[in-house]
Amino acid sequence: MKALQIPAVLIALIVLAAVPWFGSDVLVQFGINALLLAVLAQGWNIIGGYTGYASFGNSVFYGLGSYGVGIAMVQWELPFAVGLAFGVVLSVAFAILLGIPVLRLKGHYFAIATLALAQVMTAIVSNVKIAGQNIGLVLPPLNNDLLFYELALGLLVVATLTIYWLSRSRFGFGLIAIRENEEGAAVMGVNTTLYKVLAFALSGVFSALAGGIHAYWVTFIDPESAFDISLNVKMIIMAVFGGPGTVFGPIIGALSLSAISEFLSSEITSIAGLFFGVVVVAAVVLMPRGLADMLRRFRTTGWRYFAENIKATRL
Amino acid sequence: MPNTMILKRNTRSLSLLAAAAALLMSAGSAMAKDIVFGASVQLTGPVANTGRYYRDAYELAIDKINAAGGIKVGNEKQKIVLKLYDNQSDVNLSVRQYTQLVSQDKVNFLLGPFASNFALADSAVSEKYRIPMVQGGGASDQIFSRKFKYIFGTLAPASNYFGSTIDMMKGLNPAPKSVALLYADDAFDVSVAEGTRPKLKEAGLNVAMDERYSTNATDFNSLLSQIRSKNIEAVLVAGHETEILNFVRQAKSLAVAPKMYSFTVGVPSEDFRKALGKDADYAFGMTAWLPSADQKDRWFGDAAQFAAAYKAKFNYEPDYHAASGAADVEALAQAIEDAGTTDPAKVRDALAKVKFESLYGTIAFAANGQIDLPQTVIQVQGDQLEAIYGIHGAIKPPKYPMPAWNAR
Repeated sequence: MKALQIPAVLIALIVLAAVPWFGSDVLVQFGINALLLAVLAQGWNIIGGYTGYASFGNSVFYGLGSYGVGIAMVQWELPFAVGLAFGVVLSVAFAILLGIPVLRLKGHYFAIATLALAQVMTAIVSNVKIAGQNIGLVLPPLNNDLLFYELALGLLVVATLTIYWLSRSRFGFGLIAIRENEEGAAVMGVNTTLYKVLAFALSGVFSALAGGIHAYWVTFIDPESAFDISLNVKMIIMAVFGGPGTVFGPIIGALSLSAISEFLSSEITSIAGLFFGVVVVAAVVLMPRGLADMLRRFRTTGWRYFAENIKATRL
Repeated sequence: MPNTMILKRNTRSLSLLAAAAALLMSAGSAMAKDIVFGASVQLTGPVANTGRYYRDAYELAIDKINAAGGIKVGNEKQKIVLKLYDNQSDVNLSVRQYTQLVSQDKVNFLLGPFASNFALADSAVSEKYRIPMVQGGGASDQIFSRKFKYIFGTLAPASNYFGSTIDMMKGLNPAPKSVALLYADDAFDVSVAEGTRPKLKEAGLNVAMDERYSTNATDFNSLLSQIRSKNIEAVLVAGHETEILNFVRQAKSLAVAPKMYSFTVGVPSEDFRKALGKDADYAFGMTAWLPSADQKDRWFGDAAQFAAAYKAKFNYEPDYHAASGAADVEALAQAIEDAGTTDPAKVRDALAKVKFESLYGTIAFAANGQIDLPQTVIQVQGDQLEAIYGIHGAIKPPKYPMPAWNAR
């Protein structure tokens, strides 16, 4: 890490942490949402970016985290922190139990299998009495956006530190080896099953915590919103837009896309969805390795960077 | 480093953006005397089809009140301005937009979004900023069980959908000896069933079947066979339109004809009756609102005139969502006049006490903030849809019992 990087990150962090004191209520609410999305994108980054397994099951972890908090606070009247822990336990158990069979699949088959998980969870939770069945759970309201904002920011910091550690640890290199060539990694002595399940579980921990914070903040969960597959699509788009397999890429992707989406939805209401799609398509064509890669390489290659990417995709 | 620079620039440009937006908006609503109603409604996204009823109803009702000179606040008349956002059917965005409405746009009062899950989340904003919200889009009992003081709802409670039907059943001759209660497994229909069960017991009716089926089910053969083997005489179904279409068609093909059946949705809709043709005959249903000329209204004259004005302006028929939305505007207008001020806390107290006749029915809120609007029992009789049983009792005799399918 270059000498300037640490102070720059620290300053950015202080500015972000101070937002509730100088920003408006709307900005703080936007911040909570964007930061939680950034956590989800970072969570996906572990399994999708580093390990190379395009998981559509991360919204299950998010939902389990939501229900962990919901069930603990509403049905058992336990404190919020216990709920968060309960959600993490649920999602780690889920990651291990289902990760072992599902992570044997590769490529499209893995994506399809995980896609089905979210649908199945919606159906299961709809019939679980303690989870309020289809009606869902209404949590006690807590009007403390400052707390939610700082919690979301803190969680993002922890997730990013974890990924920073990944990017330079034996475990992280093992994951990258699996992404690049799984058979090769196995031959080199990487316990691929163990590594993949651990990556899946780690990814689940952060998604579950984000889900738990969101549940308490929005005060209402039902199966449809908790296991919403479009949320999973969002985290993938954000991670890929920013740069999968990098430390800061998913954060940049999540914050910038959230800001663009927010701006479009308030300025050009009716066609905002279309514009957002165009942004995503353009990003995939022009910078398939994400914003982080573009920023790094743009200085040396200039505008040729985009031309090369277009050529590489053979449009 | 580039990465972190982006982070910083992002937050800064965002706060600039927010500040600019706030400036623009305050310039827009500079006319001092207007009362501003704010709302965030689903204009795009999956539920936009129902969301449009609320936008159109809010606009129509506000235009009508303004055309009559506005609301009388104390000694002067003030006009209403509507500030509307599109929440794209996204709950999180709607919460932010309501926060924006109260904290930056400084609207005086709030009108609601469509759907219970939105109302649940958004009511937390009105409670936090102590700005009354009158919403006509969420019927779930959960919205009103949180002891919030600033949320009022004009959609009839889910638990009372079959209330008037059961009242009618008590007077039927011969009374049905056994009742089946069937309901889909979604939040709304489960609430309907939970409310109906005790009412059936209270009425002394024998509930011989109480079954939940999965939403979007297409096969009702086994339920229908049970109805036949248990000799059920009255069937109450809480579900969705397609399920009910299937239910009636399969009842015909299996020749299952209880003495009566009633459905929570479908019967009032013309499409439903067209799809079933003659087989729709004898089906009972319910509606919280009929565009009848008996339903007098201060601003529109009556419900029929409201429906005509609505159709003329927007080119489609209003349904109870639209009427409920218009009633929200009228309830706020009435409460502001009663309070004689636009002070949110005083208007809130006035809302709690409000009681007036409107195009939607009698508007009065229970202690929890929800209206108690009785459903009018309706029945398909030949080609006609007839109102059978309302607030004041029987309107028209029901066709009962339903004849066997081969005897029609």
